Amino acid sequence: MIPPDGRSAERRGELKRPGSSTPAIEIRGLQKHFRVKQGLFGTAKQVRAVDGVTLSIPAGATLGIVGESGCGKSTLARLILGLLPPSAGEVLVEGQNLLRLDRRARARLIQPVFQDPFSSLNPRRRIGDIVAMPLVAQGTAGAKTRARVAEMLEQVGISPDMAGRTPAQLSGGQRQRVAIARALVLGPRILLCDEPTSALDVSVQSQILNLLGDLRRGLNLTTLFISHNLAVVEHIADTVAVMYLGRIVEEAPARALFANPRHPYTRALLASVLTPEPGLGVPDVGLGDVLPDPANIPPGCRFHPRCPVAIARCSVETPPLVDGAECHLLA
Amino acid sequence: MSLLEIEGLEVTFGQTAAVRGADFSVARGETHCIVGESGCGKSVTSLAIMGLLARGATRRVRRMEFDGRDISRLSERDMSRLRGHRMAMIFQEPMTSLNPAYTVGSQMAEVRTRHLGGTRQAALDRAAELLGRVGITAPGMRLGQFPHQLSGGLRQRVMIAMALMNDPELLIADEPTTALDVTIQAQILRLLAQLQADLGLALLLITHDLGVVARVAHRVSVMYAGEVVENAATADLFAAPRHPYTRGLLDCLPIPGKVAPGAPLGSIPGMVPKLTPGFSGCGFRSRCSLAHEACAAPVPMRGTAHLFRCVIDA
Repeated sequence: MIPPDGRSAERRGELKRPGSSTPAIEIRGLQKHFRVKQGLFGTAKQVRAVDGVTLSIPAGATLGIVGESGCGKSTLARLILGLLPPSAGEVLVEGQNLLRLDRRARARLIQPVFQDPFSSLNPRRRIGDIVAMPLVAQGTAGAKTRARVAEMLEQVGISPDMAGRTPAQLSGGQRQRVAIARALVLGPRILLCDEPTSALDVSVQSQILNLLGDLRRGLNLTTLFISHNLAVVEHIADTVAVMYLGRIVEEAPARALFANPRHPYTRALLASVLTPEPGLGVPDVGLGDVLPDPANIPPGCRFHPRCPVAIARCSVETPPLVDGAECHLLA
Repeated sequence: MSLLEIEGLEVTFGQTAAVRGADFSVARGETHCIVGESGCGKSVTSLAIMGLLARGATRRVRRMEFDGRDISRLSERDMSRLRGHRMAMIFQEPMTSLNPAYTVGSQMAEVRTRHLGGTRQAALDRAAELLGRVGITAPGMRLGQFPHQLSGGLRQRVMIAMALMNDPELLIADEPTTALDVTIQAQILRLLAQLQADLGLALLLITHDLGVVARVAHRVSVMYAGEVVENAATADLFAAPRHPYTRGLLDCLPIPGKVAPGAPLGSIPGMVPKLTPGFSGCGFRSRCSLAHEACAAPVPMRGTAHLFRCVIDA
């Protein structure tokens, strides 16, 4: 199953953007293994949460990371933010190793927005203080702080008059706007969003997605967008990486990946998306009952126990990387 | 006549009118979805039908019939005879609705023996048969396991099997796949749709996900601010939504092929109003671009097959 040359060229051509010499984020051979004990007297097991990830994100681009729960996408996010040291490999943000930078320098480069705006904001503080906090932590708070906070709130669609309110007085969407304002107040060049709209209603989700799109274009942000919602990722991402059990099994420009998924796992994932089109019924995803367990990664291709098209070789040999997808059948 | 008929359902919790007007019916062999955003009253509606409202809630209803019998005035004892027997329910988070201290087998068997009597062994056999039916391999082994030993998808299958123990006629599922991964969600919904068709169940499915609605519902009720604002056959609702809220909601979705990547999505400005008991009129009027004076008065449902609660012709 060798793809026609035209498609390969298109895939490769879109992945590399001309004129972006230093990628915003460069990840090489990244691994994070945890030791966890199962039960009180159980023996320690190794969980390979991230198991050899190599990625490059050009400045100004939006990378979407998709995968099921337990695939390692949130661990990858924490590694990229420098909140966890890797077991092997490295993360370079604008050419610098985050682990060699102190927390303040790191915070000026890259900022997160998390899923749940109900728990990521301190309930006892006023939102003006929450947004000002990164400036205070940097020691740069001063006469201009209030003006900067007001400007930031305005930019995310919250009236600066509301700076005196506490998170409890805001709706879920407004809280997520505050979280975004806090992330952007230092002017970072990279924004990492981990399921930023999963806790929100549909009508609020669209507002936050529109806001993120506007900010990204206006501030030329590089964005990592982690989500289990494929329709959202298709809407917002330039490039998409599909994670399965700690590895990226397929990476391609969003349009190519959604129009022409190549890895059997990507195909199953796309098939399981229920678009609001009546009459189509619920598809048979064909993944069977075996669930992925990062503490017990199968040999060969790690997807083979669930793969509807696996062949004998898949359970033995490590799959080759062919044109952005790790699969024996594509070689 | 439908198996379940609800007319003029209202539920208040102290100073909050959670449900202000819900009318719908579910026929045997039909999947009816109630869709809406958080706080619209969809879950409270399902609990009100099952008689499971929290203490302090007040329920009023003009008509609530199950298989032609008025169930609005049943005693708690008579209601609990129906629940788990002729009408069963599946909740969102199977981990909190299964008892962690008992095996799958003993919880499932109890559902049977409590309502229908019989031996424990007969009930366990029935449990094993149903676990097989919902696609669980090695059901005998699963009967001896505890809920924490199962994955989320398996737990939800166990919940479904447990709900089917006494051959219910009505199954109410409240966000049954919301806690699951998309791949597992597709498997569970496929299973529910299959069981519904094979067993001729009346299925009332509560969800916030319009994708789920489109794929499994025969008929849909859209709820907003405690009211059913639109009630139509699924294809009609998606092809020609009549209520401004339904139209707004559909515009918010990033639908591949319909909305260009990166293009701005539709949105609904403003917030859901505070629903104090005295609140009357259309709950959507403060966010609706078409609203006028008439919207402040109670708005009746209009239409025959495609019902909607709006004074504006659209």
